[in-house]
Amino acid sequence: MPGPEDFVQVSDRGGVKLVRLRTQAVRAEEEVEALGRRLMALTEEPGVRIVLSFLGVQYLTSLVLGWLIQVHKRLAESGGELRLADIDPQLYELFTMTRLDRLFRVFEREDDAVSSFVGNVEG
Amino acid sequence: MPTEASKTDDLGAWTEKILPTDLAGIRESERDLLARLAAVGYDEDHRFAVRLAFEEAMVNAMKHGNKMDPSRSVTLSYRVSPERVEIRVADEGPGFDPGGVPDPTADENLNKPCGRGIMLMRCYMDEVAYSSSGKEVRMVKYRQP
Repeated sequence: MPGPEDFVQVSDRGGVKLVRLRTQAVRAEEEVEALGRRLMALTEEPGVRIVLSFLGVQYLTSLVLGWLIQVHKRLAESGGELRLADIDPQLYELFTMTRLDRLFRVFEREDDAVSSFVGNVEG
Repeated sequence: MPTEASKTDDLGAWTEKILPTDLAGIRESERDLLARLAAVGYDEDHRFAVRLAFEEAMVNAMKHGNKMDPSRSVTLSYRVSPERVEIRVADEGPGFDPGGVPDPTADENLNKPCGRGIMLMRCYMDEVAYSSSGKEVRMVKYRQP
């Protein structure tokens, strides 16, 4: 039976955790919580490097931004980092308006974000 | 069960709903509101802005106002005309002082996870005003501000 976390896909790209979202909108409470929990679970690994791709996502709310900030804080304590990629221009405005583009490094494509951690990566 | 009523004045018909404190229940009203915007020709940018502000206001009312207490309700009113969209959201909480919410874009608050909802409502709507009790927010988006 599919669970609310099933839209969150995590893979390993050269030691970087790549998180993709199979949804157009992260808004339902259970989806927001599921994403937050999955990201927080990843932070259990000390120094983990995470790329969160928003490819295909066209809508999210401030609840998601709140989770991203919590993940960022946790990673800052453990020496890890969360970088973002593939943010729709309309959604990117949310980050610039709230100045979160200063808190996170944001890349145009997920490959760029992964490479920024480990150099060129294929696959 | 939500209740729904309609009132009319010279600016058009109000749709009023009394909704239980249940985040899942926001969707149906959101769909109706967005369908009305589309029906009178609001573009994608306007619909995105209204959707976001609407959801932030509803979530604030239920989470921060009603503290997710299922015995409390949220009163939602909205009307859509070709010129403007007007939304009112009232909760049954103790009220709050919107001026007391820290600026989430200040350097010292950037890494705090809360406080962005109200800011986004103000960014995306043309008018955002709270009642003196802080229990009701009124928002307006003009088609051509």
